[in-house]
This record gives sequence, C-alpha cells and structure tokens, in this order.
Amino acid sequence: MGQCLRYQMHWEDLEEYQALTFLTRNEILCIHDTFLKLCPPGKYYKEATLTMDQVSSLPALRVNPFRDRICRVFSHNDVFSFEDVLGMASVFSEQACPSLKIEYAFRIYDFNENGFIDEEDLQRIILRLLNSDDVSEDLLTDLTSHVLNESDLDNDNMLSFSEFEHAMAKAPDFMNSFRIHLWGC
Amino acid sequence: MAQSLSFVFNVLDTPEDQGQEPSPYDESEMHDSFHQLIQEQSQWAAEEGLELQQMGSGTSGSDHQALLGPEGALAHSTATLRILASMPSRTIGRSRGAIISQYYSRTVELRRRASRPQLGDLGRLARPSLRLYDLELDSTALEEEEKRLLLVKELQGLTVAQRDHMLRAMPLSLAEKRCLREETRIARGRQGHRGLPSCCSRLRYACVLALHDLGLGLLSALHVLTPWRYALKRIGGQFGSSVLSYFLFLKTLLAFNVVLLLPLLAFTVGVQAAFPPEPLGSVPAFTGLELLTGGGRFTDTVMYYGYYSNATLNQLCAAPPDGGPCIPEAGGLPYNMPLAYLFTMGAAFFITCITLVYSMSHSFGESYRVGSTSGAHAITIFCSWDHKVTQKWASCLQHDNIRTRLKELLAEWRLRRGPRSVCGRLKQVAVLGLVWLLCLGITLGCTVAVYTFSEFMIESPVPAEPEGALLALPLVVCLLNLVAPYLYRCLAALERHDSPELEVYVAICRNLILKTVILGILCYHWLGRRVGALKDQCWENFVGQELYRLMMMDFIFTLLDTVFGELVWRLVSEKRRRGRPEFDIARNVLELIYGQTLTWPSSPPLPRLGVLFSPLLPAMQIIKLVLLFYVKKMSLMANCQAPRRPWLASRMSTVFISLLCFPSFLGAAVFLCYAIWQVKPSSLCGPFRTLGTMYEAGKVWVRRLEKGGPGVSWLPWIHQYLVEKTFPIYLVSALLLAVIYLNIQVVKGQRKVICLLKEQISNEGEDKIFLINKLHSVYERKEKSRAGRMQEAAPPPALLTEDQDT
Repeated sequence: MGQCLRYQMHWEDLEEYQALTFLTRNEILCIHDTFLKLCPPGKYYKEATLTMDQVSSLPALRVNPFRDRICRVFSHNDVFSFEDVLGMASVFSEQACPSLKIEYAFRIYDFNENGFIDEEDLQRIILRLLNSDDVSEDLLTDLTSHVLNESDLDNDNMLSFSEFEHAMAKAPDFMNSFRIHLWGC
Repeated sequence: MAQSLSFVFNVLDTPEDQGQEPSPYDESEMHDSFHQLIQEQSQWAAEEGLELQQMGSGTSGSDHQALLGPEGALAHSTATLRILASMPSRTIGRSRGAIISQYYSRTVELRRRASRPQLGDLGRLARPSLRLYDLELDSTALEEEEKRLLLVKELQGLTVAQRDHMLRAMPLSLAEKRCLREETRIARGRQGHRGLPSCCSRLRYACVLALHDLGLGLLSALHVLTPWRYALKRIGGQFGSSVLSYFLFLKTLLAFNVVLLLPLLAFTVGVQAAFPPEPLGSVPAFTGLELLTGGGRFTDTVMYYGYYSNATLNQLCAAPPDGGPCIPEAGGLPYNMPLAYLFTMGAAFFITCITLVYSMSHSFGESYRVGSTSGAHAITIFCSWDHKVTQKWASCLQHDNIRTRLKELLAEWRLRRGPRSVCGRLKQVAVLGLVWLLCLGITLGCTVAVYTFSEFMIESPVPAEPEGALLALPLVVCLLNLVAPYLYRCLAALERHDSPELEVYVAICRNLILKTVILGILCYHWLGRRVGALKDQCWENFVGQELYRLMMMDFIFTLLDTVFGELVWRLVSEKRRRGRPEFDIARNVLELIYGQTLTWPSSPPLPRLGVLFSPLLPAMQIIKLVLLFYVKKMSLMANCQAPRRPWLASRMSTVFISLLCFPSFLGAAVFLCYAIWQVKPSSLCGPFRTLGTMYEAGKVWVRRLEKGGPGVSWLPWIHQYLVEKTFPIYLVSALLLAVIYLNIQVVKGQRKVICLLKEQISNEGEDKIFLINKLHSVYERKEKSRAGRMQEAAPPPALLTEDQDT
C-alpha cells in the first residue's frame, strides 16, 4: 500500500454513501483513495471532477470495449464527480440487484440513445465484441437478424427495455459478467 | 387468438352510425387531444435531443410480418416513432419523470400490502401494466416536481431499511438520491459521531484496508490454483467448443477419481499400511519390470487385495485357553478389516453413483428445460463479455472466444439439409450400410483375435518367472484398440454427414461397440477361466495385476500414439496439401471412458472389479489423467487444426457423462453385486479368506449386532426389511418414474403457454402499429377537409358584397 489515506470524508457522508449504494465501507474508502490520487491535489473531494479520459484509463476499464459508453452513461456533462464514480461502482458491484444492472446495461448498449436497441446498435456491439474492423457484412446481418428473431417479441425490429430485460432474465451468467472491481488499489 | 384489447375503431368505415360508435364531433375532439399529445411529445423529444430515424422498408427481415396500414407504407414516420418512444413501457429506461412515477407506484404498492413484504421480491417488476401508471395517464399532467413530492411523501411512510433498499435500487444518480433521502429524513437524534474519524478508527481502517488487499491477492492466487483454467480458455478459443468438451470431460473424470480415492485412502489403505501383516516368504528384489507388470515386488503391498488382512486389526487378544474366539483386551480401537474393506468400497461406489446421476440429470435439465439458453444469440452477445477482465492478454483471449462462439452459433443455425433427390438419398443409405458392415466386420475380427489369443495363453503353462510374457495379452489388446479406430476413421471419410455432430455420435457408437466387446471377452477370460486355472492360488491378486498391466499398456500406447501417431498423420496430411488433421474427439473420449471403466467396477458383461481387487487403481488413474492432459494439449497445439465446420457442442458433455453412467457404471453396479453375492473368494489371501462369499462378512456382522443389544437393533431391522427384500426397491423405482413423468408433463405445458403468450405479444405489437397508422390517416383526412373548407370560406364575402350592391 504505502500511500497515506487522506481522511477528508466525514463519518456521516460515509454512512450515507453506504446506505445509498451497494458498496461496503471499505470499498467506498478505497474508491475515495483512488479518486483523490487522480484528481488535482489540494481540492476537496466533493468539488473535484475527473474527465472521461481519466476514468477510461483506470485499470479496471482500460481494456473494456464498452468503456466509452460506460463513461458516457454515468457521467454528467462529460465529467465525473465523486458521487458519479460511486454510482458507477455501485451498479457494477457484486451486491447490486439485477433490475439495476439490467437498466444500466440497456443504457450502455443503446449506442444511439433513442431508447431502443436497434439493428445499428446491435451491429456496433458485435463489432466491439470482435474487436476487429474487417467483419463480413453477412456475419453482421445474420447475427443481428437472429438476435431480433429470438428476442424481439412484438416484431418492431428493435429491442425495447422490457424485451431486453426478458432476454437477460434467462441468462444465468449476466450477473456474474456484469461486474467490475473498480477499487483495485 | 385471444386479444385483451378488443375495441373497434370505426372512424372510416361507418361515420353515419350514431349511438355507440363515436360521432364525428366526438371523434374530432378525441383526435385533437392526440394531436396535442403528438405535439407535446415532439417538443419534449426535441429537448432531450432524440434522433429518431425513419425505418426503411428494407430493414424488416423476411420473417417479420409487420402489418401494413391502409396506405400500404411500412415505414414509420418520425411522429410514430416519437409516440412509440414515449409509451409507458418504453420510457422506463430513460426519463427521470417516468422513473420517479414508477417508483412512486411501487412504494404505494409496498405500503398497501397487509403483511410485511419480502425485500427480495421488489426488484423484478418487468413490464409494468398500465394500471400502475396513474400519474402518467392523469389528465392533469403532473409536473416532475409534484411527482417528486409525492414520492418523498410515500417514502416517508416506509421503514428505514425499506426506504434505503428502495433508494439503492433506483436507477438515478447518487446526487439525486441524496436529495430524496434528505427530504425524507425525519428529524431524529443523530446517531454516530460527528466530524472526522478519530485516531484509533483511522488505525482500524488502515488495518482493514490492508486485509482487504491481502484478500484480493489471495483471490487472484486462488484463480491461479484452479487447474488448467487458462489452458482450457485457450483451447476453447482456438479450437472451438467441441474439442474443449473433451478436455472438460477429462477434468470431470479427474474429479470423480479424487472423490473415489479419498475414502479408500482413509479407511482401507491407510489403516492397512499402518498395521502391516507379517510377510509371507522372502521379498523379491525390485527390478524395473514391476512398473509394467505389477508383479514381483509389488505383489505383497497395499496395491493388491491379497495384502489386506482378514482379521480385526489392533485388537490385542488374550490367548484363549480353548482356542475359542478372541477376547478383546482393554486399550486400542478394534478395526475390523474385512468389514471396513467392504463398506468403504460400498460407500465409495455409492457416492460415485449419486454424483454421476446428479451431474447427468443436471446436464439434461440444462439442455431441455423451458427457455433454455443453449444456442441463444442474444445471450451470447449481451452477456459474454466478462467485465471483470483487466489484463490485455485476457481480453484478447475473450475476443477470440467470442469470435469462435459466434461462428459456431451461426453455423448451427445455417445447418440446413438441402433437399436431396431420392437417388441421392438411396445412395447415401447404401454407403452408410456398407460402412457399418465393414466396421462391424472389423470389430468381429478383433474379438476373435483376442479370444483365440487368450485361450492360447490359458492352454500354455502359466509361467511365473519370465514376467515379460505376462504382458503379451495386454499388448495384443492395446494394439487392436489402437488400430481399429484409425480404420473406422478412414472408413468414415467415405460417408458424408450433414451435421458434424452426427459424425461424432456415429464414431462414438462404433468405438463403444469395439471396446465393450473386447472387454467382455477379457472379463470372461479372467473370471470364467482364470479362476478355474488358479484354483489354489490367490486369483484376486492375479486379476488385479492383469488390470494393472492393461491400464499401464493402455497408457503407454496412448502416449506413443499421441506423440508419434498424430505427428505422422500431420506430416502425411501436409504432404498431400490437405492441411493439418482434426482432433478425433470420439476416439479420445472413448479411450478415456475405457480407462475409467478399468478402474471402476464395471458393466455387464464386463466384470471389471478393478477397485475391488486393487484399491490403489484410482490413484494410478489420477496420475495418468494429469499426464494425459498435458500430452494431449501439447499435441493438439502442435499438430491439429480447428474443425473445418465449426459446430456448437452444447450437448456433448451430457452425452459423455451419460456414456459414463449407463454402459460403464450401471452395468458395474449389477456385476459388482453379482461378484459380492455369488463368487467365492480365494481361501489363501485377502480379507474375505474364510467366507463363502464376500457378502457374508456383512451378514456375520449383522448377526453379531443382533446379539449386541437393543441399542443397535434398528440396523439389523433395516437390513432384514430393506436390503434382503426386493419390494422397497421396486417401490422407489416406481416413485422415481412417476416424478420424472410429472416433470416432463409440466415442462411441456409451460412451453405451450410460452408459445401462446409470445403470439399474443406479437399480435399486440401489430395492433399498435395498425392503430397508429389509422390515426395518421384520419388526421391527414381531417387536415385535407379543413384546408378544403377554408378555401371554400374565402370566396363567399365577395358574393355578399355584390348582393348588397344590387
């Protein structure tokens, strides 16, 4: 460890954060520590902000293909306050409830932010998952049509939130895979 | 087709019908309010910065049956999309107002419940029904502030724990949650400290964080300890799930053997090693050949059945005056070896049986349950990325895995049997029949060879000195086991199956028949002929040694085959420019099952009383499996290529475990019972020396218990009524069958209901689009008629002035 912990956090704040998020006290303190290391020194933690690039380059998010979407969904006005970071950690923690994770997963996967996951979103998701730009058109269109065949229940060629939720309810490892340890201090 | 909404929208068709149908006047009012709604939503949508596209008619796939409106246009206009986007079911994911009203409704429902609700039930409300959205459908469209106040008021009515749980689960930002919490906090005495934490709590936190780091470090170390995790991921990513299933099966077998070995080690081998019997005669010197033959030096060790004493260990007997039974002295715990031997075998056998049946039913359940996720694309795309991964190489591995998986999924979906002509089908059937005949012929040939050779070994005098000669029979068997599967593979290249999965199943069948028949001959040879031939010697030892020899030979041949055989095949294939060979799953899996069956008590008509006669065989098997994993993996990476036709092996592990359970293990159960109940143990060695059958040890003990006293009388009672009689077994099997049948029927019924519900949902989607299109057409008509009326109203003032003039 070796770093000194800067206890700028008041006890009531800690209690409040613990009550409002799914994080434990230790995790909150760890995130607090990481946050202070990244933000400019001397600033009070409640006023300091991080840019999206700084959060994207955290070790936990560095290799995530969806890191730009994650940062976009959880930030406000393109910056992260400490509470935004806590909110993000809470959604991705182990104890978070499934409905919350599904809610945010939907927002992250909705690339064009129109409230639906349509074909364009699906294609972009597949390209990110395969991490290569030369994917044949056939593969993309085939895959998107199969996904929509399976999950689009009312035949409008898009996945609404309830259809997405229904599809995720069948997946046993969604809860396991939608987890990030942001406090790797 | 049951439809819940069943009103008739008769605007165009019957405008003259008064009464129940809406009058033109009413209709325009109704229409105007929708017009207002559309305007509001478009304003709101513009504020939020939505970008809605127009859907071209090409986007709907050929399977979609989108309903065409009266205009015949399939494209949704911008206004339609806006309406769709602002429907209650759609806005859940986005607008704060919708979230607040949704949670308001949930809170109200929570408070209305009479009993204290389970907090765990709160989070799963999927598609909220319109009933709950009283705030949204209220004609006095409440402002967001007012909704907030209502929510706050409701939250105040909950207990602290419920309120916190509700707040935690809300998909709002933390700052907003804090505001809500502030507003709902009833002024009560502040608990806890104020200001900065004190010195000792600082120290405590430092310790806690250090421990947390240690815990994280240990967790990552634990991941390293999980055997072969990285290797399996690499194999899966590079070669697909079919080859991976073989290696997973190997891992499962390893687990089974460990489970089998532990009680044996604890209760029989360990104890016997602690109390060694007196050696009979001189101990021969150790030569290297023992490792192969299992004889010589190893004969009188814990490896074999003959070593185990038939007396009660550690029982200090006072010398009885008239040679009667041993009177135990005080001190020392008596350990009845024969009983321990039998019961440990029984317990290990039982545990393995239960584990096998459980894992088999689990796999079956996974594949066939309602809404199973095997082969589901949506799940793969949304859930396959593990966000916990932080290393670059691990993420590359994940990308590879996902790519392979997606290709396999697509291939499985694309597998369509092209319509074949009758001629083509007949030709295929003929080729199949021919190949099967040839394979069965080869099997017959091998069987006859083994039989004649074993008879020859019996007829010639049994040599005890040249130990190498004992290896002849295992050598012949292993050679045949090696050559025949290659012949099968060459023949299988003639038939062309559509599905690679079917090819693997057919190959498995053929290999299974071969191995079953050969093992059957061997077992007849041992138990039928050898027992007779070795009348006054310890035949159990001999059988154990034979098993050991067979296992060793099998292992050596597998190694040689893997290292050299696949190398040679690869060189030959590369010369012929056919690319590298593919990994032969069927042959390798059957080899594994064969090796395992040598270890277990076996199936009819294959008596493999391996464990019964050589308790350390599971340990050998474990070592063999570990070595085999590394050798196979190396050979795979060096010599083989990924299957040309990728296919998803989702049911393979179920098939393998079923093969392990049914031919292999279940038959073992039957035969082991036969051995215990019927066959006479040899009179010179082993824990059952003096008894007629091995089972008598149990009977003797039970009789002794009966005399023991009333405290343990339940055990003999169980023995008498449940074990000796056959009725309870029939009853239990009948109950089991009934439960299975009921479950199958329930699953069928659930599937039907799901189909009906899906149909209903798609019908409602069509209804929605139809209604929107109708509304648009009515609105356009209204606009046109209004424009027309305004045009007509313009000229009349000119006419009036003219009239006034005249």
